[in-house]
Amino acid sequence: MKTRFFFDRQTVLVLSFLTAAAVLVPAMNGLAAPGSALHLPDHIVPLLGKYLCFALLALSVDLIWGFCGILSLGHGAFFALGGYAMGMYLMRQIGPRGVYSDPILPDFMVFLNWKDLPWFWQGFDWFPFAALMVLLVPGCLAFVFGWFAFRSRVTGVYFSIITQAMTFALMLAFFRNDMGLGGNNGLTDFKEILGFPVQAGSTRIALFVLSVAALAGGYLLCRWVVGTKFGKVLVAVRDAESRTRFLGYRVEHYKLAVFTLSAMLAGVAGALYVPQVGIINPSEFAPASSIEVVIWVAVGGRGTLVGAILGAMVVNAGKTWFTGALPEFWLFALGGLFVFVTLFMPNGILGAAGDLWERSSQKLRAARSPKPLTHAAE
Amino acid sequence: MTAPVTPALLYLDNVTVSFDGFRALNALSLAIDHAEMRAIIGPNGAGKTTMMDVITGKTRPNEGTALFEGSYDLTTLDEAAIAELGIGRKFQTPTVFEMHTVEDNLLLALQGARSPLAALLSRRLARERERIDALLERVRLTPNRHRRAGELSHGQKQWLEIGMLLAQEPKLLLIDEPAAGMTDQETADTADLLREIAKTKAVIVVEHDMTFVRDLGVKVTCLHEGSMLAEGSLDVVSANERVVEVYLGR
Amino acid sequence: MIRLYILLRVFVLLVGMTGVALAGEYEDALPKFTTGNYSDTEEAIGAVAASRHPLSLALIEALQDGRLLAGMGQVFIRDAAGDLLNAETGQPHGATSRDLKPIRVNNRIRRAIEAALGGLTLLSTNAGTRMEAARAVFRSRDAAALPTLAHAIAQESDPTVRQALQQARAAILVGKADASPGDRLEAVETLRVRGDQDALALLSNLPADSVPELTESARKAADGIRSRLAFWNVLQNVWYGVSLGSVLLLAAIGLAITFGTMGVINMAHGEMVMLGAYTTFVVQELIRTYVPGLFEISLFIALPLAFLIAGAVGIFIERTIIRFLYGRPLETLLATWGLSLILQQGVRTIFGPTNREVSTPVWMSGALDIGAMSLTYNRIAIVVFAFSVFAILLLVLRYTSLGLYMRAVTQNRRMAGSMGIRTNRIDALAFGLGSGVAGIAGVALSQIDNVSPNLGQGYIIDSFMVVVFGGVGNLWGTLVGSMTLGIANKLLEPYAGAVLGKIALLIAIILFIQRRPRGLFALRGRAVEA
Repeated sequence: MKTRFFFDRQTVLVLSFLTAAAVLVPAMNGLAAPGSALHLPDHIVPLLGKYLCFALLALSVDLIWGFCGILSLGHGAFFALGGYAMGMYLMRQIGPRGVYSDPILPDFMVFLNWKDLPWFWQGFDWFPFAALMVLLVPGCLAFVFGWFAFRSRVTGVYFSIITQAMTFALMLAFFRNDMGLGGNNGLTDFKEILGFPVQAGSTRIALFVLSVAALAGGYLLCRWVVGTKFGKVLVAVRDAESRTRFLGYRVEHYKLAVFTLSAMLAGVAGALYVPQVGIINPSEFAPASSIEVVIWVAVGGRGTLVGAILGAMVVNAGKTWFTGALPEFWLFALGGLFVFVTLFMPNGILGAAGDLWERSSQKLRAARSPKPLTHAAE
Repeated sequence: MTAPVTPALLYLDNVTVSFDGFRALNALSLAIDHAEMRAIIGPNGAGKTTMMDVITGKTRPNEGTALFEGSYDLTTLDEAAIAELGIGRKFQTPTVFEMHTVEDNLLLALQGARSPLAALLSRRLARERERIDALLERVRLTPNRHRRAGELSHGQKQWLEIGMLLAQEPKLLLIDEPAAGMTDQETADTADLLREIAKTKAVIVVEHDMTFVRDLGVKVTCLHEGSMLAEGSLDVVSANERVVEVYLGR
Repeated sequence: MIRLYILLRVFVLLVGMTGVALAGEYEDALPKFTTGNYSDTEEAIGAVAASRHPLSLALIEALQDGRLLAGMGQVFIRDAAGDLLNAETGQPHGATSRDLKPIRVNNRIRRAIEAALGGLTLLSTNAGTRMEAARAVFRSRDAAALPTLAHAIAQESDPTVRQALQQARAAILVGKADASPGDRLEAVETLRVRGDQDALALLSNLPADSVPELTESARKAADGIRSRLAFWNVLQNVWYGVSLGSVLLLAAIGLAITFGTMGVINMAHGEMVMLGAYTTFVVQELIRTYVPGLFEISLFIALPLAFLIAGAVGIFIERTIIRFLYGRPLETLLATWGLSLILQQGVRTIFGPTNREVSTPVWMSGALDIGAMSLTYNRIAIVVFAFSVFAILLLVLRYTSLGLYMRAVTQNRRMAGSMGIRTNRIDALAFGLGSGVAGIAGVALSQIDNVSPNLGQGYIIDSFMVVVFGGVGNLWGTLVGSMTLGIANKLLEPYAGAVLGKIALLIAIILFIQRRPRGLFALRGRAVEA
C-alpha cells in the first residue's frame, strides 16, 4: 500500500512535469520576446525534444531491465529501426525537391544509378503505413530474436552479449549501400512532414509537444503494465526465475511479450527523434550507444520508470554541456559515471534520494518515540 | 486421455540421469499413491534433488519413464506444463519473491490462468481474496500480509513457500528440506502442517532431520548413488545394514 | 646510374664475346625514333634489338622509362643523373634538354619494348636477369623472340631458368597458328605443368582455328589447372582463416580466463589489448632514440613489458572495482565498459587520436610461397605466437598451483573457498593473467592492425563471440571457437563479401547460442546449475 501510494505520487509528478514542459517550452519560445531572460532560443527546442525521445528510449530499457532483469545491450537497434522507418517516410516526402530532382527515387539511389524503388520502400510515402512500420519493424525483430533467445533460456550476460552482436550486425548491414537505405550517410535532407516544413519553428514546437505526449503515454503504459499481475510476474521472473517457472508461468512468453513491447516503445522514440535531429544513419546502431542508454537508466534508478526519465535527461544534459565546454573530458565523465553508479549508487539517484528520505524520517521517528525502534519480525 | 497404465499418482521407472559420465540417478524406480506422504532420505549426492528435477521437468532423464496420473509423460513436458498438471515444488533454500509483498506472493501462486494476456487483463476477485485470507491463516502470516517477503524470517519464508505451494492446489507436493534452519518448535509445527496437507494430497518430503522424519510417521525411501537402497517404515529402513553404513552411521 | 653503367659494361663485354654486332643496323634505326610516328618507333625497336649493339639495352630501357629523347634529328639517352648521352656514340652530349622531347610510347610500343628487352637479356650472364627476361617474354609472347629463345634454351645450364625459358617458348608457340601441331601440343603440356593463372589464361584463349586435337588437350589441361588453382585457393583461404583465427585466439583467450574463472564480463578487455599495442609503440620509440641496434628484437622486449603493464592494470581494476561487484555480472559489465571509455580517452589524451606507427622488424617482412599460395612472414609469426601462448597457458593451468587453484575456483567457487583457497586472491591473479595475455596479444596485433585508441573496440565483440561459442571454463573451447570463426569467416568471404560474411557469421552464432546456450565445450553438472 505504501509503495502503491509512492508510485501514484510519482505518476502525478511525472505528468505535471511533462504538462509544464508542453506549456512552458512553446510559450517561452514563441511568446517571450527574443533577448528577454525567459526566451528559449529556437535551437533549444529540438534539443529538448531529443532528450524526451531519449527518455522514452530509457523507459523502454527500464521496463525490461528494471522490472524483468533482461539487460539488452542492443536497444539502440530498435530505436534506430523506428527512426529509419520514419526516415523513409520523410525521404519519400522530399519528392522532386532532391538534388537530382527525381520525383520518386531518393538522391542516394539516383547517385547509385538505381532505376526502381526497392520493394521495401513501397508504401512509405503513406504516413499511416510508415507509422505502423515504426511499431512493426522493431516489434517483429524483437519478437523473432526474443523467441529464439528466451525459448532456449539464454539469460544474463549471454543475452546481453548476443543483443550487442545483433546491433553490431545491423550496423554493418546498414553501412552497406546495397542495403538501399543510404549506406554510410543514412537518410537526411528532409523537407516536409505531413505537409509541414520540417525546419519551421512551428513544426518543431509541434514535434516537441508530440514527444511530450509520447513520453507521457509511454510512461502511463509502462505504469499500467507493471501495476498489473503481468508486471508482478515480471518482477518475479527478475528475482527468482525458476521459482516462477515452477509456479506454472511460461517465463519465456512473459519475457517475449515485454521485450517486444519495449522494442516498440524504442521504435516510437526513434521515429520522433529523426524529424527533430534531421538525420538517421547507421551509427545509431553502434553498440556503444546502446550501452549508454543503460547507464541513463542506472543513473536515474532502475526499476522505477521515473528514474529512467530523470537519468536520460540528466546524463544527456550533462553530455550537451560537456561536449560544448570540455569535449575531451566527456568520455572520462561518462566512463566515471558508469563506474561510480555501479559501485556507489546501485539504485541510482532515486534510490539514493529514497535512502536519504528513509534515514531522515527514521531519525525523526526515533526522536519522537522514547524507545529504540525495533522491527517486529527481526 | 488414455486409460492409466498404472494406478499410482507418480510413477518413475528405471530413470537414469548422467552428467558427463557421472550417474546422478541410476535406474531409479519409485511409485507414489494418491494422498500418500513419502519421506526421502539419503546422503549428499544420492540423487534426491536430481530426482525432483526430473519430476518437475528441469532435467531430462537419459532413459527411463516418468508418468504422472498414469498418462502424462513428464519427460516430454516443461516446468510450466508440469506445474499446471498439479505438481508443486518447494526448494531447499526458501525461494520466495523477495520484492513482492506476502500477499502478492500468494496471489502469483494462486491457481488460475497463467498466460501473459490473462495476467495483463486480470482483476482482483473476491474469491481470490478469500482464498488468500484462508492461506495466510493457514501458514500464520496474516499479520505480515503487506510486508515484503524479503523482510520475513527464515522460518516464515519456508512457510510462505509452503503456502504458495498450497495456493497452486497441486495434486503432488515436492518439498525439499522443509525443516532446515528452523527452531524445534517450528519444525514440529511444520510436521503437523505437512501431515494435514497429506490428508488430501500426495507429498514427497526430502529431509535429513531424522526426528522430523519420525514425526511425520510415513513410509521412507533411502536413496544412495542414484538408486533406491531401502524402502519401508523408518524403523525398517534404519535397521538396514547398508543404510546404516552409507547414511545413518553407527 | 651506377647500375646503368655496369649493365652497359656487361653488355659491351657480352657482345664483344659473341661478336655478332652488325655494324650499321643500329645507327640506321635511330632516325626512325625521331619521326614521332608509333609504327616507326616500333620498327626501330625491332631493329635496335636485332642489332645487338652495345647500347641497345640502355636505349630500350631508356625508352621504357621515358628517358629517351629526340630532337634536332638525333636521339639522346638521359641517364639517371640527368646527363645526356648521344645514343649513337654513348658519349656525353652538351645540349640542354630543353629542345628535346621524350619519345612517346603507347601500349603497343610498350609491348614491343618488353619483347625487345626480353630478347636482349635472355642471353645475359646473370641467371637472375635471364629469369627476369624469360618472364618478360612469357608476358609479351612476341614471336620475334623465338630464335633467341631457342638459342638461350640450348645453352642454359640452370634448370629453373631453363624451365622459365621453355615456358616462355610454350606461351608463344601455343597461340601461334603456323607453328607445328607437335610443338603446340608440347607447349600445352609445358603450360599445364606450369599450372598458374597465366597458363590458364593462355590455354583457355586459344585461337578458334586450332586443330581439334589441340583444342581438346588444351581444354583438359585448363580444367586440370582450374581444379588445382581452386584447391590452392581454398588452402589460401583456410590459411587466411587460421591467421584470423589466431588473432581472435589471442584477443579472446585472456577473456576466456577471466570469464571462465570469475564469470565476469570484462568489457575493458579490448583496452588491455590496446595498452599492449601502445607499449610496443613506446618501446620502439625508445629503442629508435637510444639504442637503434636493438630494433630487430624490439618486439621481444615489448612482450614482457606489455604483459606486466596490462596485467598490473588488470589487477588494479580487479582490486578497486570488480571485487565489489561479484555476483552482479551485469553491473560488472557496465562498470568495466565505463573503464574502457576512460582508458580509451586516456590513451587518446596522451598519444593523440591518430594511428601510431609501429614498425615490422625485417625478419617478419616478406612472404613464403607454397604452391600457388603465399604466406606472409608476419602472419606466420602471429599464428606461431598465438599457438605458443595457447600452449603456455594450457601448461600454466595444468601444472602450476595457480592453475590448479584457478580450475578449482572455476568449477566450484564455494567449495574451493572452503578448502582454504583464497578465492579473492586467485581472482586478482586470474584477472591479472587474463589482462596480461591481452597485453601480449596487443604486441602481436600492433604488427597487423592500426595502433589507435580504438584498437580494442574492434576486437571486443569478436572475442565475445569466440568465448560464447567455444564455451566457458575450457581453453580448448576458445581454440576451437576462434579457429572455427576465423576459417568460416574467410571461407564465406569470397562468396558473400566481407561484410555480409561477417553478418552471416554473427547470425549463425546467435542461432547457435539458442541450441547450446553454454557453448561448445560447456561445463555441466551440479556446480554450473547452482
